[in-house]
Amino acid sequence: MNQQKNNEAKEFGSILLDVGVYLLSSGASVSRIRITMRRLATTYGYLPHISIAPKSVSLALSDEDELPVFNGIRTTPGQGVNFKTISGISRLSWVASEKDLTLQELRDELNRLIALPHYPRVIVLLAVGLAGSAFCFTFGGKLLEMVITFGATVFGLFVRQEAIKKKFNPYICVFMGSLVASLFAGAFVKAGLNINFEHAFATSVLFLIPGVPLINCYTDLIDGNILNGIVRGVNALMFALAIALGLLSAMLIYNLK
Amino acid sequence: MMDWILILSKAFWCGWGAVGFGILFNVPPRTLFAIWVGGAMGGFLKFSLLQLAMGVVFASFAGALVVGICSIPVAHFRHAPPMIFAIPSVIPLIPGVFAYRTMLGLIKLTGVIGPDYNLVLSETVNNGVKTVFIIMSLAMGVAVPMHLMRKESVKNIRLIRRKHAVL
Repeated sequence: MNQQKNNEAKEFGSILLDVGVYLLSSGASVSRIRITMRRLATTYGYLPHISIAPKSVSLALSDEDELPVFNGIRTTPGQGVNFKTISGISRLSWVASEKDLTLQELRDELNRLIALPHYPRVIVLLAVGLAGSAFCFTFGGKLLEMVITFGATVFGLFVRQEAIKKKFNPYICVFMGSLVASLFAGAFVKAGLNINFEHAFATSVLFLIPGVPLINCYTDLIDGNILNGIVRGVNALMFALAIALGLLSAMLIYNLK
Repeated sequence: MMDWILILSKAFWCGWGAVGFGILFNVPPRTLFAIWVGGAMGGFLKFSLLQLAMGVVFASFAGALVVGICSIPVAHFRHAPPMIFAIPSVIPLIPGVFAYRTMLGLIKLTGVIGPDYNLVLSETVNNGVKTVFIIMSLAMGVAVPMHLMRKESVKNIRLIRRKHAVL
């Protein structure tokens, strides 16, 4: 009886740690991770003690009598922002409390959520390209500049995705994306087309902005998770520097002032 | 009149920018329409306030704040956390051109001190401060409504009521 209880606690602890690290690497704020983990733990009758570091989650579970039953730590898997995971896990935590899922069902559902496919690559490239030209328009760009930004964004994102696949350092991936996008946009400026190159340049690298770390940085700081907030903010700053460096390199290569 | 048509078309494109980023962040397909509406709404508010001669920082903050507030009921309706709607929707409001000018200005400031150095200095500081404050206000606009609503109270309230009804 006691043995079975122990095994259950172990299994549940492992599921809960997975929930935590997947949320963390998908770009959820610290308070959301904490809320979701606590909600799941309460549903299954455990008292959780959670500590969330920038790249790992540690967890101690106690049972109703406050006796420790599980201790564990897990580091984040290397995957990027994925809101489908966040939304799926958040939903799962509600479903689990409403439908009394067994641990096996919970584990199966979690595995299914994590394996959910991304959008097809072509769709992502085209949609982000469209977003790039949309930015160009809102900053006052004309049709020609919008088309150039579209092309630059598609090429830049493609290169960045390839670099991520080859497991380069993430900042270097962003640098490469920024360099290629601005080289593409700069080629048209250099070719002597009559365009406002500020619009083409400034918007061709906008797809690289670290929007999720930036906003999560403030969310974490407001919540009092100062350390996580600072880490995310510095991370976002590093990405911004990488973008700027790529842009500057392209301008240096084309000798644009 | 022409100005308002331009504002509407800018808002329209802001929506597409938001959707593009939503797809990049791999949001569930059922949230895409709401993200488009959010992006367009934020953009419309920002550009109309700019048209009414409000400052760009305040305009961006107002846009982000409205997006943040609206994301909460939508989150309940579409069964996804508010941030999934709010973050892609405010990304079109990010001040790309100001950031770009700041960066170029900083590079110029590393050069020799010439007659126009003071001008470059004040322009760079101006652009930099605008960039930082706009980004801060976007993040605040998204984060604050969630905290005012005590995170997920919408869902909690409903659950508690249902439980009471059963009892």
